Amino acid sequence: MKRNQGLGRILVMVYAVFALSAFARSLFQILTDFSSAPLAYLLSAFAAAVYIVATFSLARSGRTAWHVSLVAVLIELVGVLGVGLWTVLDPGLFAEETVWGHFGAGYGYVPAVLPVIGLAWLLTHRPAPTR
Amino acid sequence: MILDGWFWAGTVICALSLIICVVMTVIRTFPDDASILSLVAVELFLVVYGISAAVRTAGGETMSGPVWEFWGYVATALIIAPIAFFWAVTDKTRWSNLVMGAVGPTVFVMLHRMQVLFLG
Repeated sequence: MKRNQGLGRILVMVYAVFALSAFARSLFQILTDFSSAPLAYLLSAFAAAVYIVATFSLARSGRTAWHVSLVAVLIELVGVLGVGLWTVLDPGLFAEETVWGHFGAGYGYVPAVLPVIGLAWLLTHRPAPTR
Repeated sequence: MILDGWFWAGTVICALSLIICVVMTVIRTFPDDASILSLVAVELFLVVYGISAAVRTAGGETMSGPVWEFWGYVATALIIAPIAFFWAVTDKTRWSNLVMGAVGPTVFVMLHRMQVLFLG
């Protein structure tokens, strides 16, 4: 089955929801309340950008899109683990919640589970080898 | 009180939409009309909810949260069902139903946030 069909469609839909909500929320935070927690809000904006890239690359066919997806999903995995650990170890640094804070607890831990599923999906649906 | 009639009405509609979409994923190999109509129901609820919120605020009710964050949520929630619909029907498999099933839980979470912003 092709990467962006069947079950892959659902993955793209969930990514789209997160891209949209993370983007809207970080835009709102940066426009209204940037000074109170610049680091948290910039991280939210970065997370939103990664989700947007992942959504579009997962939705597209082809080798390049597969590689872009892999990079985006890996950044996401490192991001949610790194920022998650960071917020646990040094809570004072993040006065406000960010998407990846506390391993995505504010979003039902979906941000932590999503890159794992995405990675598994990409590795089991590799692009056809060039000959 | 966040958990008012609006909240429960929305919760029931979102839950029904999810259940219908999951059932259709199991028994249909194409995007079923029932799934699509369940999205229409969610969308209609959001439209009515938005109009009601506009009437209530125009009538002097104040929101406990930022007003334009509330409307940001309403606007964002409104575009989720159309996105899911178009993404689902461009690939006519059984999984199209589950793609549309993502709308119910998403809108439910956003509705809860809207209630918090409106009523505190």
